[in-house]
Amino acid sequence: MSNNSREEILHTIRKGLEGVGKNEGKVLADANRNFHSEAEEVHKRIDESQSALITQFAGELKEVNTNVIETGSKNEIKKSLLGLIKEKELKSFSIWESQFLKEINLKQELKDAGLKLVTAKNKNRIANSDIGITEVDYAIADTGTLVLLTDKNQPRSVSLLPPIHLAIVRPENLVRNIGDLFVILKSRLENIEDITSCMTFITGPSRTADIELSLTLGVHGPKELFVLTL
Amino acid sequence: MGFEEVRFEQDSEKAIHNKPLQKALVNVTNRFRTARNKASEDVPNWDNLRAAAREIKKETIENLDKYLLMLEERVKRAGGKVHWAKDAEEASQIIVNIAREGNVKSVVKSKSMATEEIELNNSFEDAGIKVIETDLGEYIIQLAGERPSHIIAPAIHKTKEDISKLFSAKLGIPRYDKPEELTKVAREILRSEFLNADMGVSGANFAVAETGTIVIVENEGNARLTTTVPKIHVALVGIEKLIPRYEDLSLFLTVLARSATGQKSSTYVSFITGPKRSTDIDGPEEFHLVLLDNGRSKILASEETRESLYCIRCGACLNNCPVYRKVGGHSYGWVYSGPIGAIITPQLMGIDKAPELPFASSLCGACKDVCPVKIDFPKVLLELRKNVVESKKGSTGIGERFGIRLWRFTVEHESIYKITNKLSYYFQLPWKGRNGKLNSLPYPFSRWTDQRDFPAVAKKTFRERWKNNKGETG
Repeated sequence: MSNNSREEILHTIRKGLEGVGKNEGKVLADANRNFHSEAEEVHKRIDESQSALITQFAGELKEVNTNVIETGSKNEIKKSLLGLIKEKELKSFSIWESQFLKEINLKQELKDAGLKLVTAKNKNRIANSDIGITEVDYAIADTGTLVLLTDKNQPRSVSLLPPIHLAIVRPENLVRNIGDLFVILKSRLENIEDITSCMTFITGPSRTADIELSLTLGVHGPKELFVLTL
Repeated sequence: MGFEEVRFEQDSEKAIHNKPLQKALVNVTNRFRTARNKASEDVPNWDNLRAAAREIKKETIENLDKYLLMLEERVKRAGGKVHWAKDAEEASQIIVNIAREGNVKSVVKSKSMATEEIELNNSFEDAGIKVIETDLGEYIIQLAGERPSHIIAPAIHKTKEDISKLFSAKLGIPRYDKPEELTKVAREILRSEFLNADMGVSGANFAVAETGTIVIVENEGNARLTTTVPKIHVALVGIEKLIPRYEDLSLFLTVLARSATGQKSSTYVSFITGPKRSTDIDGPEEFHLVLLDNGRSKILASEETRESLYCIRCGACLNNCPVYRKVGGHSYGWVYSGPIGAIITPQLMGIDKAPELPFASSLCGACKDVCPVKIDFPKVLLELRKNVVESKKGSTGIGERFGIRLWRFTVEHESIYKITNKLSYYFQLPWKGRNGKLNSLPYPFSRWTDQRDFPAVAKKTFRERWKNNKGETG
């Protein structure tokens, strides 16, 4: 049944496009762009303007109801986080295991502070935990957007199910705009099979205006978003 | 609720006399319009972006068969399953079957115009499967048993008092009157639905042929939950939603968010390629892509109206349309409203089912000016009007044709034209209302004056006034 429909749909499309589809060679023609050299250019321009980008990024985050915590060192990350835990009376957490997060050993620090570690494997448990901590793969300066890539150390639920999401952003992961980002992503996509099962853009906490256009935060996703910049 | 026939004239009349709706329409369209205008002015080369987006959509649609096959192949390679549905019935059947095979008892849905189009919820209910809309606006609409009235803000025709009453009656809870309280109630109820659901159904804003990625744009996070928590994810996607390349997304996401709500970026954008990988810790085990035709492939055959398929469903045309702003979404009789509804409903459902819609426009072109893919709405509307007339469902009777001939004869003869002008001034006097306009003419002109006044013929013609005033104005 389904197979017939496939042929039928394709047939109708081809018939409808008779006399149009003469640009055979045009399909994906832009794939001839050299994303490696473009990415090099992009990185160069980002390096030249890094401090301005950080300022711009923080400004954009504030526009979208995000709490920005600026830290100078790895020690300060821990201090800020422990402060937040005390202030919000947090008791349980989940965390990504990116290279950087492992390096600063944040997981152990939080356990030592008495918080319970929750894994993303159990949806009910993580939904009832207090905070999810990630370290973003990229961040877009001119829109205040966090870019998160799913992989075996970086489950999706951590930035989704707990009521608070805290994301750590390192300056080397900032890009100027979404155009830069896709140049970099494409340059790193050697093999289509390597693409992540889920990339997520996050710009501010969950929001709705569905009732009389009145802005309400935290309708489905995290109610609060904290961004910790280095 | 099923689709039978569009009754624009009748339904718009009702809408115009609905005071709360009129207030809501002004609020929502003004808010979105102002935000869009600001967001587009912020981008120095906005018009170039629109032109580029249009070019890419044109390229996609003109090579749609090739890109669909590429998409199919890439989704399969990522571990997903691809299904093709030629119409609404088949699409519903496919999705219900996936649910049956997966032993699914409860389904969560994120906002999707395509699922509205195929009336998927009815099919689930007929099959005894529970289905819950999770976008707050859609959840309200589902509880009320209604249809969305705006692409972006589906429940905008309801006041917070309406919603408070609805929640209290349907959910058996006390009356809450603040939007924050109502939102909190919905969050709690829907959160447990998410955790219990076996299947999530979403739409998609884009499907990328090159990578097999579907892209979902939202603010609430319900689409993320729908595509992350349940063990099966089904995405229903119209075949026109394709874009060729991964990097094309940077352009389309920029124009979509700014055109829709005036945001620089929507709160959440999910880029989903297949089901969870074997090493991933969470995410759905199964991913199904259902490609929906339902009349789209037929639109391709008309060169004049083909561009209707470029639409990315931002809703900017609704917010800027002087007709939509008065009559609201429900007058358009089906899931798509405003200028985009006026052009795609007749094409998808058949022009005989919605012959009034191509005329539900003043052809002012405000929609074309804001469209992020520069759809030439007036051109398409005129072509569809022609089709309506040719299909004989239109209104050219003998009377109209005679009238047009008479008009032509008159304007071709100067002396007769002058005399007619004078005569009509005197002939109209019995119908001239107190406001100086004609407000109730006899049939067939009553078809105009029943709905609005007609300007009266002036005593002095423009030529006469020009002659007299020439000396003063220099």
